[in-house]
Amino acid sequence: MFALRTNGLTKTFRVKRKQPGLAGSFRSLLKPAWEEKEAVRGIDLSVAHGETVAFLGPNGAGKSTTIKMLTGILHPTSGDAEVLGIVPWKDRNRLAFRIGAVFGQKSQLWYHLPPMDTFDLISRVYEMRRSDYLARRDDLIDRFELGPYLHTPVRKLSLGERMRCEIAASMLHRPQLLFLDEPTIGLDPVVKARIRDLIRERNRSEGTTVFLTSHDAGDVESLCSRAVVIHHGGVLLDEPVEKVKREVLSRKTVKLTLSESNGAARLPPIAGTRIVRAEGRRYQLSVDLKRTAIDEVLGQLIGRFGLEDVTVEDPDLEEIIKHIYGMKKETGEAG
Amino acid sequence: MNERGFRWTAAALKLHAIARVTVRQQLAYKTDFLLRSVFLLFILYVFVQLWTAAYDGDSSRTIAGFTLKQIVWYLAFTEALTMAGPPLGPRIEEEVKSGDIAVKLTKPLSYVGYHYSSYMAEALFRFAVHLAVGSTIAWSTVGAPAFGLGWMGLLTLSLGAVTVAFLLSAVVALLAFWVEETRGMEFVMQKLQFTIGGMLLPIDLMPEWLQRVCAWLPFQAALYFPAGTAVHFQTAVWLKQLGTQAGWIAGLSAAVIWVYRRGVKKLHVNGG
Repeated sequence: MFALRTNGLTKTFRVKRKQPGLAGSFRSLLKPAWEEKEAVRGIDLSVAHGETVAFLGPNGAGKSTTIKMLTGILHPTSGDAEVLGIVPWKDRNRLAFRIGAVFGQKSQLWYHLPPMDTFDLISRVYEMRRSDYLARRDDLIDRFELGPYLHTPVRKLSLGERMRCEIAASMLHRPQLLFLDEPTIGLDPVVKARIRDLIRERNRSEGTTVFLTSHDAGDVESLCSRAVVIHHGGVLLDEPVEKVKREVLSRKTVKLTLSESNGAARLPPIAGTRIVRAEGRRYQLSVDLKRTAIDEVLGQLIGRFGLEDVTVEDPDLEEIIKHIYGMKKETGEAG
Repeated sequence: MNERGFRWTAAALKLHAIARVTVRQQLAYKTDFLLRSVFLLFILYVFVQLWTAAYDGDSSRTIAGFTLKQIVWYLAFTEALTMAGPPLGPRIEEEVKSGDIAVKLTKPLSYVGYHYSSYMAEALFRFAVHLAVGSTIAWSTVGAPAFGLGWMGLLTLSLGAVTVAFLLSAVVALLAFWVEETRGMEFVMQKLQFTIGGMLLPIDLMPEWLQRVCAWLPFQAALYFPAGTAVHFQTAVWLKQLGTQAGWIAGLSAAVIWVYRRGVKKLHVNGG
């Protein structure tokens, strides 16, 4: 049984082509030139109930356009899609009762009012029974630890607090499928981790299907079991996250600053590690996890040097996608 | 309750909830209310001076059936209504441009219904405040009103007037689905309401040919009807105006739904 399925889903936008210069602007007024821009090109995809799928791609790859078609906001140019057995753009209202959506850069909370007011409004919009709403709301407040700022106007909340409220609000009506469009954008690592925990917990306890887009490899690793990468509007890769991790997400970035007590000492070569950047006492290392473990690298560094600062990060997702794109090209050429 | 009845009740409860939260949000804008009230005070003061000059300060004189007192109260009502209207055009345009419309379209809620409910709540709330401020000024300059059933005429026709004003703004605002800029069209629409809608002077004072033109346009239903009936109540005219308003509401609602349904299919949601 599928939570969503697409077949050749395509979206083409007609975009006005601006001609350069003032004369060009006048010419455009009299005789506008248009061009077709293919945002999504024949996407075939199926997601099972309860699955957690990362839908990835560089900026402009067509991720958000696809989500907007799957939520019924945009009408496709061609192709079909079914979400929870409903054609989204034909019956958007009926589908809306069964899905939830969080757009990381857009808010559903009323800016000058406390989150509680938005929760109340959402319960009416989703036609929830009062007793059911109150029980559900209290449960989410408890799990998301929203109690301390439930009565604080949204404008006075931090981004992390607001995002927790946004996600709780989108889960109030128990959606079977949750679309998350960049849910952790702009958040600090601690808040990101908390938000990921909460989403994962909802997926496990309620079987909510999660369809996530993110530029953060950490979101993908910790939340999703499957990664779909799109590029230029089409599917480039569709694999379990474990496999992607093994083959592609096999590097970590270590940024460190040596303490002054080390004098002019330089970092020696460490097996499986490449120095990407070195500026004075500051280094950026790329660690190949297939060859060495992070704790081994850190152990060697701490054993031999005084460290002022050290961070371990995932590689930039854009880089990963470029890497996948390169791999696919090589495979294609080899084939 | 049958399925149809249930759907209507659910829709009414949603609109009520939106209206409620809109009014709550309005209470956060105290400075805005204060500034608007000061502006209303200033505008009405200028109008009182102008019309007092036009009447030579003679309170018993009538022009086109209006005494000075009736004119000043008429202007207090039209100003209170005009200044009550929220900026629907810029809001919808901004939602379309920024892509924030996506948040509303993923909810089981009518987009137009949402804006109508929010607009009505905000407009009626502001109207009540402006009416109180405007009445204070009119009372202190030309004396207490003695409009009798006119008050009932004002309140009943104001509901329809705000609805007509919403629908006129909505038709223009929804063009944001096609064009990048609707402010110009909104500006023209607003100025038409100010002039041939009867905000600056009652339509009765206009040339006869213009009155005949106005009779075929919706603008008078948004301002002239409630204010004119308030100061000149006649049951037959009031009923006719209610009927005319209902006709315009039906016609404009059909236009708004038509524009929305076509527009939402053309939507190009921006912002990621």
